[in-house]
Amino acid sequence: MTELRTAVAARDAGPTTTTKMAVRRLNFHYGNFHAIKDVSLDIPEKRVTAMIGPSGCGKSTLLRVFNRIYSIYPGQKASGEALLDGENILDARYSVNRLRAKVGMVFQKPVPFPMSIHDNIAYGIKHYERLNKAEMAERVEQALRQAALWDEVKDKLKQSANGLSGGQQQRLCIARAIALKPDVLLLDEPTSALDPIATGRIEQLIAELRNDFTIVIVTHNMQQAARCSDFTAFMYLGELIEHGVTEQIFTQPKVQRTEDYITGRFG
Amino acid sequence: MSSDLIFLKRRIINAVALLLSACAAVLGLAFLAWILWTTLSKGIAAFSPTLFTQMTPPPGEAGGLANALFGSLMMCLLATAIGTPIGIAAGTFVAEYADRHWVGTTIRFVNDILLSAPSIVLGLFVYTLVVRPMGGFSGFAGALALAFIVLPVVVRTTDDMLKLVPSQMREAALSLGIPQWKVTLQILYRAAAPGIVTGVLLALARISGETAPLLFTALNNQYWSSDMSEPIASAPVVIFQYAMSPFEDWHALAWAGAFIITVFVLALSLFARLVLLRKRVAHD
Repeated sequence: MTELRTAVAARDAGPTTTTKMAVRRLNFHYGNFHAIKDVSLDIPEKRVTAMIGPSGCGKSTLLRVFNRIYSIYPGQKASGEALLDGENILDARYSVNRLRAKVGMVFQKPVPFPMSIHDNIAYGIKHYERLNKAEMAERVEQALRQAALWDEVKDKLKQSANGLSGGQQQRLCIARAIALKPDVLLLDEPTSALDPIATGRIEQLIAELRNDFTIVIVTHNMQQAARCSDFTAFMYLGELIEHGVTEQIFTQPKVQRTEDYITGRFG
Repeated sequence: MSSDLIFLKRRIINAVALLLSACAAVLGLAFLAWILWTTLSKGIAAFSPTLFTQMTPPPGEAGGLANALFGSLMMCLLATAIGTPIGIAAGTFVAEYADRHWVGTTIRFVNDILLSAPSIVLGLFVYTLVVRPMGGFSGFAGALALAFIVLPVVVRTTDDMLKLVPSQMREAALSLGIPQWKVTLQILYRAAAPGIVTGVLLALARISGETAPLLFTALNNQYWSSDMSEPIASAPVVIFQYAMSPFEDWHALAWAGAFIITVFVLALSLFARLVLLRKRVAHD
């Protein structure tokens, strides 16, 4: 725990921020299973919010509400409110494609599309903007630089993205998401399939991206939450147990259960 | 001591099981090799380039299989052209839009029945539905009967291949705010393409040897015809007719036809393998 505490104390969370996304009394059902129970939570703008908790606590489910990706599966239902810039994204009138253009997502397992590295990035951009070749090349380079991948792939942009290593593939997926210039970036356990070195690079990347994006990261790794987040939300059995500045959650949790979890007494 | 006995017993059981399965494999392969050997040896003996240039002869005269091979080619290509787009569209619907829905489950079930329907039943179906109202046998009717064989194979492979695409890829593409139809056309098809192409090639291989559905749809034609609205010859039907005849030279032609079909099917299967293999090299 001392390591955790120094890591947390070393950074200023800057708590005076505006709310980018929020959920109000959110409930979520997988068929009959009540996965999220009456959760209300604010996601501050241009900050990193980490969601922690044991498997099955609902943290990934909550993340999947933020871009409504859950809605592609029948039987999954969210009720209550989820707000993006004050608008309820759960409202059927809120276009799901408009939402996803603003809220990008990166998944646990890197899944490059079956095309070249260049086309992986260009594919999403093409859907929104008409660019000529040079402009597109510039946008692709910009996204790859932002994702700290440019130097490794600049000579093989035409090659299949499947030839990259796992860590590179994950940074490619991040580049693909940020190429659309979203406001919010959702990261669902982005490093759980990666080795420690690749994990380190992604964490470094998150630290750089927090200046431009609102980031929500789901993680099983508490050191990771402590290292890269400004705010931490702890969930347990579908309920939000505690939410606050990361430093406070990891050093002076208010709820006993949070302390039990972060000190490894259960989970 | 008793634990040693257990291991000895397990090794004996293992050896017996291995021996039995090896025997089963050898039995199956031996018959396959025998069939192939007979076809190849008799076929090569009867093979000559004039097979591709001369028409099917009356008994006692020299001839080839040109009209039959051409008829087969026309009907198989038309059947594939009809069955493939419908099959891909239906397979996509089942896999992407109605997967866990009762509509999808029903289509999948009915498609499996069609997949295992005896081909002679499909021939009868087309005979009743097309040949009788149209007042005659035709190449179109034959192609349609073959298309009913292609269709369920393509539906099944498209369905299976799309389901092999990891759901994370769908989620990742949809997360970019791209609509589902575009994701399906531009991402999922690309990922599933080698498998779907293989399915189409294997369906083509399957129908190139089908006889039963052609007997009462395309019938036969002893002369060259490229008119699909008329009865047309096909290699399997000519093989059937010639092999059943009492004439030696017709027998030889039947073996030659069987040889050509076998080589064609073999080439298609190898090509299908190659398509899949190239995918693996490109993506792994």
